[in-house]
Amino acid sequence: MHHASQSPRRPSVLHIFKIYYPDLFGGTLTVIRDICAGLKDAFAPAVLVCSQSAEQREIVVNDVPVARVHSFGDVLSLPAAPTYPWRLWQKIADHDLLALHAPFPLADIVFALGLGRRRPLVVHWHADIVTHAGLRWLIQPLMRRTLRQAKAIIVSDRVLVDKAPLLREFEDKCHVVPFGIDTDVYDWPKIEPHHVNGRGRLVLACGRLVPYKGFDVLIRAAANREFEVWIIGEGVERVRLEQLISALGLGERVRLLGSVNDRERIKLMGLADVFVMPSVTNAETFGLVQLEAMAAGRPVINTALDTAVPRVARHGMEAITVPPGDAEALGEAIEGLISDPERRRRMGLSGRSRAVSRYSAAAFKDGMESVYRAAVAAACDDPAPAVDRRGEPRWFDSIRIAAALAWSDMRHRYVRSLLGPFWMSLQMAIVVAVLGSVIGQMSNADMLAHLPILAVSMTAWNFLNGVVLDATTALQNSASLIRDRALPPVIFLLQCTFRQGLFALHNACVPLALWLLLTPHDLSGALAALPGLSLFVICTFGLSIVLGALATRYRDLKPIIESTLMLAFLASPVIWSADMVNHRSTVMRLNPLTHLFAVWREPLTGGHVDATSILYVLVAVALLLCASVVTLVHLRKAAFWI
Amino acid sequence: MASISLRNVCLDYPLYGAYDFSLKRRLIGHLIREKGGMRVIRAIDNVTITAEAGARIGLAGPNGSGKSTLLRLIAGVYPPSSGHLSIRGNVVPLLGLNAGVNLDFVAEDNIALLLRISGRKPTRAVIDEIWAFTELEARMQRLPLRMFSSGMLMRVLFATATAFPADILLLDEWLSVVDERFAEKAERRLQNLVSQAAIVIIASHDQPLLRRTCTSIINLDHGRIASTVTVEQPSAPPFEVREISA
Repeated sequence: MHHASQSPRRPSVLHIFKIYYPDLFGGTLTVIRDICAGLKDAFAPAVLVCSQSAEQREIVVNDVPVARVHSFGDVLSLPAAPTYPWRLWQKIADHDLLALHAPFPLADIVFALGLGRRRPLVVHWHADIVTHAGLRWLIQPLMRRTLRQAKAIIVSDRVLVDKAPLLREFEDKCHVVPFGIDTDVYDWPKIEPHHVNGRGRLVLACGRLVPYKGFDVLIRAAANREFEVWIIGEGVERVRLEQLISALGLGERVRLLGSVNDRERIKLMGLADVFVMPSVTNAETFGLVQLEAMAAGRPVINTALDTAVPRVARHGMEAITVPPGDAEALGEAIEGLISDPERRRRMGLSGRSRAVSRYSAAAFKDGMESVYRAAVAAACDDPAPAVDRRGEPRWFDSIRIAAALAWSDMRHRYVRSLLGPFWMSLQMAIVVAVLGSVIGQMSNADMLAHLPILAVSMTAWNFLNGVVLDATTALQNSASLIRDRALPPVIFLLQCTFRQGLFALHNACVPLALWLLLTPHDLSGALAALPGLSLFVICTFGLSIVLGALATRYRDLKPIIESTLMLAFLASPVIWSADMVNHRSTVMRLNPLTHLFAVWREPLTGGHVDATSILYVLVAVALLLCASVVTLVHLRKAAFWI
Repeated sequence: MASISLRNVCLDYPLYGAYDFSLKRRLIGHLIREKGGMRVIRAIDNVTITAEAGARIGLAGPNGSGKSTLLRLIAGVYPPSSGHLSIRGNVVPLLGLNAGVNLDFVAEDNIALLLRISGRKPTRAVIDEIWAFTELEARMQRLPLRMFSSGMLMRVLFATATAFPADILLLDEWLSVVDERFAEKAERRLQNLVSQAAIVIIASHDQPLLRRTCTSIINLDHGRIASTVTVEQPSAPPFEVREISA
C-alpha cells in the first residue's frame, strides 16, 4: 500500500464513489475531500472512482492517491465502467476500512455478492435514488444487502432516516454527523457579515448544472425583475440553460460563470447579496453550498424539500424557504430580500453564527473519526471466520444437498421397476426409430447416418424440456422442506437440473449405441462439442431458475410455459436439421434454440459454428445470468409463495 | 458460541388471494390501473429476544399468535420486514413433522437422505446408532415408512433429527405426538443436547411440557410478546439463561 511505510501505521480507508476531482466539482466531492484531509492523521485515505479521461489511471489529488477506472460515459446518471466492480473487489483486501458514498449501484453489486465481507464497511448516505426512481425495484435489493453488511451508516441529518423507508430498516446503524465547513476562510477583512452591498442586486447560485439543481427555475424567476443572477458551475444542462436565458432575453442579467476555483468562489460569496439554492428534488439532501453562503454571512433562499435543506438554513431565521419549482414565489422572495437591506443583514448574521456554532469542521471531523474508529474496532472484535463460514461453503452445501436429492430421485425410479429410467430411454429409442423412418421418407437424405444426431438432439431436448417443466413445480412440491427445514429454495431448482442430467445420461445410451453402430468413429468432434454443450446446460439451468421462480409466484404461467415449450420443439431444428429446410428462414434465425443447438451439434457433425450463433448464445447466457441473479435475490421470499 | 438476537423484528406476511397468483390478472390490473394494494398481515410485531448458549425458550400462545412464524423467521425461512436479526451458530429447524420424508422409501434410505439434507455423511454406524435409539426391530429398517404407525414414524424422525448436536434447535409441537414412554427418553435426549451448549426453542400449547423443559416461557399474542415468564425449577437446571428480554 501507498502509506504502509509510514509509522505508526494508520488504518487505511478506501473511499468508493463514482467520480472525483479533477473531473467534477460539487458538494459530495467536497465532503469526500474534507474527510480525507480532516482525518489524514488518523486514517490513510485512498479513492477509487470512474473517469472518462483515461490517460492517467493513478493520480494524486491533495496528497490522496486516486485510482480511476475507465468509463465510457454516463448511462442513467451512472458511469458505464464495466470493470469497476472487478477493480473494487481487487482493492478491498488492501484496506482496513471501506467508505461507500451511496447511492452508487456499481459498488452495491460487489457488496451484494458478499465480496468484501471481511473488511468493515461504512456507508455515507448522500441521497436516495430520486432521479431514476423507476429503477428502484432493481437497485433497492442490492442497496439493502449493502446496508445489511455495513457497520455504520452516516447521514447528514436525522430527517433523511425518517424519510427513507430503506434507511428506517437499519435505524440502529445510522449515525447523524452534520457536514461541517471551515468557516475561517470566509473571515476576510473586506467581507464582514454587516457589509452589505449598496446596489443590492447580485443573486448568486452555485452547483453542478444538472436538472435537480433547478437553475431553470431561478432563470425563469429572473424574468421581468431587476436583479442580476450569477450561477457558478458546469454540467450537462449548460446548453439548455443558455437557450432558456436567450429565449427569455436575460443575456444582460443572468450569467453562467462556469467552474471557478475555491478562492474565487469564496470571493464571489462575499460579493453576493442573496444566495439562492433552487433545487427541485430530494436528490439535494443537505446543500453544503448554502452552508458556505451562511459562513460568508449571506442570506439564503432555499426550497421546501423533504430533506435537510430547509433545516440547515431555517425559514425566517437564516433563510426564506419557497416551494420547489415555483419560479414566481422564488422571484418574489428574492425581490423581497433585495428591497430590505436590514433583513439581509440580520439573516446573514444569524447564518454566520449558525454555521460557526453548529456546522463546524471540527465537529464534523470528530464525528467521522469516532464512527470510523468504531467500525474498525467492531471488525476486530467480530470473529470474521464465523461470518465467512456461512458464506461460500453454504453454496457448496446447497449443491451437495441438491445432488443427494437428485440421486435419491433417480434411485427411486429403480425401486419398483427393474429398468428404472431406462424405460424412458427405450421409449426414446422407439420415437427415434419412428421419426427417423418418417423423415427418411420425406427427405431423400441418408437417414441412417442422420439417426445418431437425431437421437442426441432428442436427448438434449428431453433434458431442457424436463428441467424447465420440473422447475415450474419444484418449489411447491418441496414446500415442506423449504418451510420446515429452512433449506434454500434454489436447491430444488438445482435438483431439477441434476435429476434430468442423470436421466439424460441414461438416455444418452441410445445415441451412443447408434453412433457406434452407424458412423465412423471420430472422437475429435465430440471434444469440440463440449464447450457448446456446457453453454447449453448453463442456459437450461438459468432458464429453470427464472421460469421456476416465476411459475411459483404466478401460477397461471405453468400452462403458458408448457405450450411454449411444445411450440419451441416444433419450431426448432430438433427432429429436423437445418439443411432440410430453407436455411435463411427468419423464424429459424431469430429462434434462440436454433443457435443453442447449433453451438454443439455443428462441431459434433464436423461442421463449423457460425459466429452469429456463438454471439447469440453468449448474449442469451449473459441475459439469463443477470435475470438469475435478480431472481435469486427475490427467491428469499419464495416461502411466502408456496 | 451460539446466540440468537432479535431486535425490534417485524414480519409482514403477504396474503396472496387466488387472484394474486395470476400474472394475467396482475397485468390487466396494471392496464386498467386497478388500485389493489397487496394485503399484508403483521405476523410478527416488534419482537426482541436475546438468547445465549444454554437457553431453553418455550413459545406459548393461542393458534395464530405467531409461534411457528417466529420459529421460521429465526430459521431464515422468512426474511424479516424490518428490524435486526443476528443468528450465530448452526440452526437445525424441526418444524413440520414429515419434512423431506418419502414414505415409499425404506426407513434406512430415508434416514440417509435426511442426514444428507442436514449436511451429515450417513455411514452405517451412524444409521445403526439412530436405529438403536428408536428401539424398533432391526428388520424394520428395510421396510418402507408407509408401513410404520405414526408413533413409530415419529420415533424414527426424532432419532434422526437429534442424532447430532445442534447449536440451535427449533421445535414445533414435537414432543406431544410421541407415546408416553418414548417422550421421557426424548426429553432426556433433548436435555443431553442442551447440555452440549445449545439453544432450544420449543413452540407448544402444552404448558406442563413447557414448564418441564424450558427455563423461560414467552407468551405471544397477535405477533407481539405479551409476557415473559421465567420458570423456577427446584432441581438445579444444568443450564442457565443469560439474558432474555422482551
